[in-house]
Amino acid sequence: MTLHSSTFGQLSKHIATLTGTSVGSERLLEVVAAYEPILSEIAKLRELNLAEVHPAIIFEPTAAYRSAA
Amino acid sequence: MKSIPIEWTSLKGLGEGLAKGRFSSVELTQHLLARIEKHDGAIQSFIHISEHAMEQAHASDRRRRRRGAILGPLDGIPVALKDNYLTADMPTTAGSIAAGIAFGAEDSACAQRLRAAGCVLLGKTRTHEFAWGTISPPVSNPWDIERIPGGSSGGSAASVAAGFVPMAMGSDTGGSVRIPASFCGTVGIKPTFGRISRVGIVPHSWSLDHPGPLTRTVEDAAIAMNVLAGYDPRDPACQDQPVPDYAAGIRASLKGLRVGVIDNHFMDRNTPDVHAAVTESIAAMQSSGARIVHFRIPLLAYGLAAIYAIELASSGAYHDRHIASGVSSGYQKDVRDLVEMGRLVSAVDYLKAEQVRTLLCEEFKRIFEQVDVVVTPTEPITAWKKGRQTLSVAGVDESVLAASWRLTYPFNLTGLPAISVPCGFDKEGMPIGLQIAGRPFDEGTVFKCAFAVENLLNLKKKPVLA
Repeated sequence: MTLHSSTFGQLSKHIATLTGTSVGSERLLEVVAAYEPILSEIAKLRELNLAEVHPAIIFEPTAAYRSAA
Repeated sequence: MKSIPIEWTSLKGLGEGLAKGRFSSVELTQHLLARIEKHDGAIQSFIHISEHAMEQAHASDRRRRRRGAILGPLDGIPVALKDNYLTADMPTTAGSIAAGIAFGAEDSACAQRLRAAGCVLLGKTRTHEFAWGTISPPVSNPWDIERIPGGSSGGSAASVAAGFVPMAMGSDTGGSVRIPASFCGTVGIKPTFGRISRVGIVPHSWSLDHPGPLTRTVEDAAIAMNVLAGYDPRDPACQDQPVPDYAAGIRASLKGLRVGVIDNHFMDRNTPDVHAAVTESIAAMQSSGARIVHFRIPLLAYGLAAIYAIELASSGAYHDRHIASGVSSGYQKDVRDLVEMGRLVSAVDYLKAEQVRTLLCEEFKRIFEQVDVVVTPTEPITAWKKGRQTLSVAGVDESVLAASWRLTYPFNLTGLPAISVPCGFDKEGMPIGLQIAGRPFDEGTVFKCAFAVENLLNLKKKPVLA
């Protein structure tokens, strides 16, 4: 099925608004196409229940003081 | 330079030669510059040769004469830096020719340390643009110039493998020191995250970027690490951990060393030649007294997802201003696609990737409670001919990026030290690397194991340059 060009435009605009991307409509569709196989890999993360796992990022309020040392 | 094949002399040998006055830094630098002039047209490992190299060599010789002693084992030795390390006296491009990209003329922390150790900073080596890829065009592999050198530190690996410099700095976000080391038959170490300062290295992914040296021997990598490792309060990730003398205790035997082999992910989908070379290396280690323990980490099935989410989001954030201003339209297509898709990674997916990372660190901690090191192939394949976008590895088609960082990125996600050391050649004569990883900040054990393997296998072959 092929989408009408105005639908393409609306879709691009919608994705751009949601993601905050600043590339143009046509370019955005190219980027989305390139991202699709990678997204299929990233989507595997959604299978996991990780509610009890702390992310590897740890906020360290003393960091600013350390760098000033 | 008499009959000494000076271009193949180790960093250690060069340091001793300079200390004993067998040759000067000026003679050494002139010799390597002449070799680069003769052969780098075909390999293209350097993007810039320093116009100050000879001046630095003269200064080193004068200083040595005046003091009657050397500054240290690197004094007077020419080395190279990947083109994403800022330098005060050489331009930095991070491999990009895009209009609007410019970097400061100041020394990175590693450049500062190498200068303070007396090194001659000979030049900058080519990188895949913004260190985002494993091909490093237009660099050729010195073992076969029709093949890629690996990347993103492809210029550094090629320059060391070709005998242009005994050491070159690389950076490793998903494998970018170890991948080209494996493909070019050099040693390359990615130390623990926080072991070497990243100050003045063009960021790729803040929590994955690791600086590291490429050399031709394990001992040389240890000598380089003695200069490079250490705390830097300017780098928020750098840790104030004691730095041992890595070279001093390197001559240990394998007897009693506990070696882990992770059967899934690392050992189950490699080319037959890689599989044979690695299993033979493990068997040789066992014959020398190492105890082999087998493990499985099912969670590695989510590793590629995790590194994609973290690396794309981080790189997208770094390049956001260049995307907004249109500068990224001048990037190479593969890199432009990758940085511009960073905005498409959702925050939830990104944080789930960081949660997977926590679990992976715990899995490796469990393994390192039972063994001293883990060994794997560095790469599932050897260097391929230029121009390929996909590869078939053991019957599975995958992108060149997915194939070439599959075995290296777990140690970027976990931040553990990992070295690639040559362990054989495929049927077409291309090098194969063995990866050895260790506990956090235990580069010493990694070096000891790698040194023992290097001596056990005793590979002497060098590329023949046209």
